[in-house]
Amino acid sequence: MANSSKVSRRNFMQQSALWAAAFAGGGSLLPGVASAAREKELNILCWEGYNSAQVLDPFRSSTGATVKAESLTNDPTMINRLRAGETNVWDLINVNNPWARKVMAPEKLIQPLDKARFEPFFDKMMPAFKAPYKWAMDDAGANLLGMAQRFGPYSFVVNTDKVSRATAEDQGWNLWNDPANDKKYGILESDDWNVFCICCIAGFDPFKVHNDEEVAKFTETAKRVFKGAKLVGDIATMNQSMIAGEIDFHLTGGTYSASPARADGHPEIRGVTPKSGPMEGGKGGISWIEITSQVNNPQLSPLASDFLEYVQSPEMSHKVAFAEGTFNPVAQMGNPECFKLFTKEELDAIQWDSLEEEMARSAEYDIVPDYDKLLDIMTAAKREASGG
Amino acid sequence: MRRLVQLGQGEKSAIPLLLFLLIGFAAPLLAVIWFSFMPARTFSLFAAPSLANYATIFESTSYISFLWSLGLAAVTVILLALICYPVAYGIVRVFGKWAMLLTLLFTIPLFVSENIRLYGWILFLIKNGVLLGSLKSIFGLELESILFTRTAILLGMVYVYLPFMLFPMTLGISMVPSETRDAAFDLGASRWQVFREIELPLSMPGIVIGFLLTFVLAVGAIAEAKVMGGQRIIPITHDIEIAFTYAQNWPLGAALAVLLMLVVGVLVLLALRRFDLDRFLGRR
Amino acid sequence: MAARPTILSLKSVRKIFGTLAAVDSINLDIGEGEFFTIVGPSGSGKTTLLRMLAGMEQPTSGDILLRGERINDLPANRRPTCMVFQSLALFPHRTVGENIEFSLKIRGEARDKRKARALELMDLLRLPQAYYGKNVMKCSGGERQRVALARALAYDPQILFFDEPLSAIDYKLRKTLEKELKDIHRETKKTFVYITHSLEEAMVMSDRIGVMREGKLVQVGSPHEIYSAPTTRFVSEFIGDVNVIPVDVAGDGLLKSVSLKDALKGPVPPKGFTSGHLVIRPEFLRFIGKPSEADNSVSGRLYNEYALGSRIQYQVRVGERVFIVEKLRQQMFTGKLDDEVRIGWDAKDSILVTD
Repeated sequence: MANSSKVSRRNFMQQSALWAAAFAGGGSLLPGVASAAREKELNILCWEGYNSAQVLDPFRSSTGATVKAESLTNDPTMINRLRAGETNVWDLINVNNPWARKVMAPEKLIQPLDKARFEPFFDKMMPAFKAPYKWAMDDAGANLLGMAQRFGPYSFVVNTDKVSRATAEDQGWNLWNDPANDKKYGILESDDWNVFCICCIAGFDPFKVHNDEEVAKFTETAKRVFKGAKLVGDIATMNQSMIAGEIDFHLTGGTYSASPARADGHPEIRGVTPKSGPMEGGKGGISWIEITSQVNNPQLSPLASDFLEYVQSPEMSHKVAFAEGTFNPVAQMGNPECFKLFTKEELDAIQWDSLEEEMARSAEYDIVPDYDKLLDIMTAAKREASGG
Repeated sequence: MRRLVQLGQGEKSAIPLLLFLLIGFAAPLLAVIWFSFMPARTFSLFAAPSLANYATIFESTSYISFLWSLGLAAVTVILLALICYPVAYGIVRVFGKWAMLLTLLFTIPLFVSENIRLYGWILFLIKNGVLLGSLKSIFGLELESILFTRTAILLGMVYVYLPFMLFPMTLGISMVPSETRDAAFDLGASRWQVFREIELPLSMPGIVIGFLLTFVLAVGAIAEAKVMGGQRIIPITHDIEIAFTYAQNWPLGAALAVLLMLVVGVLVLLALRRFDLDRFLGRR
Repeated sequence: MAARPTILSLKSVRKIFGTLAAVDSINLDIGEGEFFTIVGPSGSGKTTLLRMLAGMEQPTSGDILLRGERINDLPANRRPTCMVFQSLALFPHRTVGENIEFSLKIRGEARDKRKARALELMDLLRLPQAYYGKNVMKCSGGERQRVALARALAYDPQILFFDEPLSAIDYKLRKTLEKELKDIHRETKKTFVYITHSLEEAMVMSDRIGVMREGKLVQVGSPHEIYSAPTTRFVSEFIGDVNVIPVDVAGDGLLKSVSLKDALKGPVPPKGFTSGHLVIRPEFLRFIGKPSEADNSVSGRLYNEYALGSRIQYQVRVGERVFIVEKLRQQMFTGKLDDEVRIGWDAKDSILVTD
């Protein structure tokens, strides 16, 4: 998913200072370390949306609990917060699909849910999420590791006034291999996803170990793509620039990033999933599904599972889908009780018309085994693109 | 028993504050410095320290980001000096009762978040935006937007840091006693000679403080390049941010931060040495 | 003193700030080589007048002539005059030498010539040569005065203006510097125009004194004239404690005072003088036994006495009125406080002034 919040210098300094202070103070400055029972306390580490007042306030008033939610805008940061010892701070963690099953469960950063209590909810979700849902289960298929809710295709976004949906779907990632498109596009500042997309442009599957030849191709592609970009920026800047005509399309994006512009009366801004691509089975795009898991907190708040159940209700699912910032489909739309809460405009904003086929054409987000190496190459490419 | 150090009541009551400062200020700094010696991509402070991160930085193209940061900051400071001196001079000597209003106008934007102001510039400068859109509809002019260029970054930086140059300069100029100017003029100096020989050197403390303040702030700038520059330039602060976020390489980010602190620290010390504030104020 | 040619001439010079006439129709000629002092209380317009003479303000109307040439519009930096400021306005970022040489540097004189001149002036002003490279802000108050004067003299002005440069100096040093300044005036033979609020200071140094009040020059004369023949009560009171008795001229030419029973003998009133004040300086009053011992006398109660160094001042209360009598210490009065005393003065020692 994309980095939609700005990390300003001040923010960054505050964070670093907080961190350093936490280290200096042996972690005693962080919330939740107190050993008192945590019946009335819940801490959520999540993508934005779950931290909005619309979602949290009804829960707060019905339970009388103190609920704190911190939103971050990339998965690795959240996982590493747990790795750095914050498992005794957080109760719930909301990240994209591969992390629970492939990283957090094996590293014992999260703990399983009560299967009897939560598995029935999957049956009310859209067909693709029927239990046992792969990303919610551990490798052995025995334990339920989390609940699914928001999801969406996430490849790139075009202004269909400039490039038709059909052309974009047919041409796919090759839009970025066409020299004629130099300076016609932007890149969302979502560096983890940009690594995936540049792999796709380079013509190979991102979610595997890459050989030297592929790494070389990646390097060349990253340099070229960043050099040819008119701008790199956040979601608001991308949408603004497409609407204003500064750029015609941008890398890394989908319903998550395009929905605010679409909801704002710009249906020409549209997330596109290529018809074909280098992913397994010739799939053209990439999609994400958020999984919310219980942190392996030695003093897990009993409210953690209550909250998970609370957001499964049709009303709350709808609110989560249309929380502040970005708008996304939710798995619970498989339940007619939930689906009927969505207006026509809301369905248009989240591209309901093509959601199913786009998801079908997308490979699900997965761990890139050599992500660190590729990210460093891409960061250098980005820097060198500015060096000229 | 005799205590080695006798603490007075005052010192004793200062201890909590000292501890607070130590924990709040020194400790984070020390933690960042220490972190920079940890192996790449670790989150622990207890691994064997090494200079590996620094080696990585010196082998990489990070120097590009350093140069951009320092270069943009230097150009920003020069532009600000050229813009702010006349304005500050006007506020102190020329505008009279309008000076207050002008000062207020320069202060008000400080109450609005930097990012919001920069997004305001985007709406103003973007293609078909406030500026270009109006030019197009009124005069039929079609101009290229300067948005997402180096010029835009400099515009953003000059705009954001203007008060930090203007106010020290205003203070500096207002510190020049008007009788010394009269005296120099009376002794035969032309207006320009009065400026060069008297006003400029005597307002130097304000100018130097403005220079240092804006330089240090501008070296730490990130939002201008990100928002208005469309990341066409990656300043070192952005590199540090990437290391702490997407790359999750905290030790590398810490090492970059330490290097930045060193570079800026050395430059500031050199500047202070060159421009001795006490000497300008006639205390030495 | 012999008549001097006029160097600076003021013709109906006025300066209006808003609705206030800070300087109101001043006519004045200042002679070549003269030490002329303008005295007035604060707000009397003397600083504004001086700033116009120096070229830092322009008159609203009237003319300023330098050797007959109108210089109203000539800016300060092109006038052959120089000012020593109240604050001295030394350049704090410069050494003593650099301060003195400032005008020479502006004129583009060579470094060694500049230094030679600076050292010469430092000699004249009794500043040690070692001070040449000293930071001027590290000098004492008196040294700074001398640096400021040297800096002005280095400009070689035809007229030197002084804007109360001694006002912030303590009494003893001020007395020394006053005399030094007069010596410098003698040695340099330049025209000095000095302003101060202290008539006492003016007396010590000046060839002539002009007294200003509310923008107007009320009296111009030698220190002796100002002291002994003030024309107004304002001028007579400016020098210090005086006895002032309001009087009307009676038909027989005698002076009647409202507060005193007897008619007073005084100078013959000029034609048309109907009412004014009789001024008697305290040293002209004396303690007497019988009324016949002086032209005028009054009796009252010795209320208090004050030692003023070489003199003693006595306060005598006559009804509601207070008289001040001064005697030299050697001629001290031997009466006791609350004694009934008689004081008298002669007609020739009193002065008739207008309000």
